[in-house]
Amino acid sequence: MNRDLQLALRQVRYEQRAFWRNRTAAFFTFLLPVMFLFIFASLNGNDPVKFGGGEVPFVTLFVPGILAYGIVGTTFGNLAINIASLRQDGVLKRIQGSPIPRWVYLVGLIGSACATTVALAVVVLLIGRVGYGVKPPLATAPGLVVMILLGTAALSALGLAICSFIPNRDAAPAVTNAIVLPLSFFSGVWFPVDKAPRAVRVIAECFPLQPLAHGMQYLFLHKVPGPGLTLFDSVRLGAWIVVGVIAAIRFFRWAPRGT
Amino acid sequence: MVAIEVRGLERSYGDNRAVRDISFEVNEGEVFALLGPNGAGKTTTTEILEGFRSRTAGDVTVLGFDPASGGRAFRERIGIVLQSCGIVETLTVTETIGMYGSYYEHPRPVGELIELVELSEKPNALIRTLSGGQRRRLDLALGLVGDPDLIFLDEPTTGFDPSARRSAWRTIRNLCDLGKTVFLTTHFMDEAQELADRVAVITAGEIVASGTPGDLGGRDVAPATITFVLPAGTPADALPALPDGSWEVDGSRVTLVTGSPVAAAYRLTGWAIDLAVDLEQFAVTPPSLEDIYLRLTGHSEQAAVL
Repeated sequence: MNRDLQLALRQVRYEQRAFWRNRTAAFFTFLLPVMFLFIFASLNGNDPVKFGGGEVPFVTLFVPGILAYGIVGTTFGNLAINIASLRQDGVLKRIQGSPIPRWVYLVGLIGSACATTVALAVVVLLIGRVGYGVKPPLATAPGLVVMILLGTAALSALGLAICSFIPNRDAAPAVTNAIVLPLSFFSGVWFPVDKAPRAVRVIAECFPLQPLAHGMQYLFLHKVPGPGLTLFDSVRLGAWIVVGVIAAIRFFRWAPRGT
Repeated sequence: MVAIEVRGLERSYGDNRAVRDISFEVNEGEVFALLGPNGAGKTTTTEILEGFRSRTAGDVTVLGFDPASGGRAFRERIGIVLQSCGIVETLTVTETIGMYGSYYEHPRPVGELIELVELSEKPNALIRTLSGGQRRRLDLALGLVGDPDLIFLDEPTTGFDPSARRSAWRTIRNLCDLGKTVFLTTHFMDEAQELADRVAVITAGEIVASGTPGDLGGRDVAPATITFVLPAGTPADALPALPDGSWEVDGSRVTLVTGSPVAAAYRLTGWAIDLAVDLEQFAVTPPSLEDIYLRLTGHSEQAAVL
């Protein structure tokens, strides 16, 4: 068991090296959200926007929003695209022929996605604090950590599940973007959706990005007392973890389709 | 000791019987080559032995394990070199070998493998910068990194230039000197001839012949071919008479297919010395493994069409 854990950690290190050297992957999953943070914060400044029945400074709302969007990229998008290509190239087949237990290898892939997520969270929070004076919710820091953990778990599991429906490497970014981009608008990542039609908000609330963004936005606005968890958001993310894990177990494929 | 034992192996995909009741054994320390055209069942058979595919019926034992349920302990002892296995593009040669080595209890040292497959100038090159031949050599290194007792080689030298093939062959022969067992599939008959202790030919899911490269399909008793260039100014009907068979003359090129090449060559060379003429490009050629292979596979292809 101890050896398998070491093996998983070593795999995380190899996956991280491979990830950061792959400039396309590193750009789209890491640099792009950071760039969006700069662009939107510079364009909109800290003008107040309407949110949750009151008015809040835009950047204070945008930092947790873009963090939620970034987490979708480092987990769901990254895993789905990476695994689709590993499967197509036969890397997964070689893994199957070697003694490493399959779960250890998958833990390595997911662990690497988590490491990227942590790096992204640190960078986004730092830029928000230093560049735009957005104070992270230190009093409710455990709540923020738990929200990030819940989101990372749910979206990683969903990434493993969705990659079985992606026919090949070329289709992977198209499939994930087609899902993530519209949802990010509905989920209030880019601007508040308080005034959006009810149907749009209900659709967004049915997917995991909205509770992740909303839960963290409330924390940043210092609106959540105690440990910092909004119940409705946490419960929905928890439900998505269950759905994601079941779907991943049910649908995950090691071999390309048609073999 | 027997490394691989296959009895009555069957694999069906729906109505298609891809592998039909085949049986064979591979002894420890032996190089065994499975030959056959595309779609003959070679890959299916090999992947069943490697544990990638399940079987429909039959008994398979590989190093004492049932590959379908051998799990980690089984995979510790085999090495697989498959054409369809990819490598992560953004790691270096050293990192890649180190990573796959970490999956095994007793990996071979990275530096030793890099030297063995002649990638010493490229230890820190990213995989995406390697040529096709260099990748295939890295494949071989990854197949050997766990110091396996049994190595599966799927067309190991496809795409190699002649000198790289020679050096890959040397590497494979070195494995045998270390007591490893090698299960090889190949399209190249010279490769089978060069490396294999025993070969089996599979077509349409059935093994149609097996033996050593020397006696496969009756090669050891099959007729040989004598060829030479007819000396200038000598008419074809001046050639010596033969106990059986007859000279076939095509322009100046003379061919004889005969079951008694020694007697025929004796008459021919005696005749040439008596007349003081030279026999240019004189050669006595036993049937090649390729001739036998084409006869075995061509025949059954016809049968399949009928």
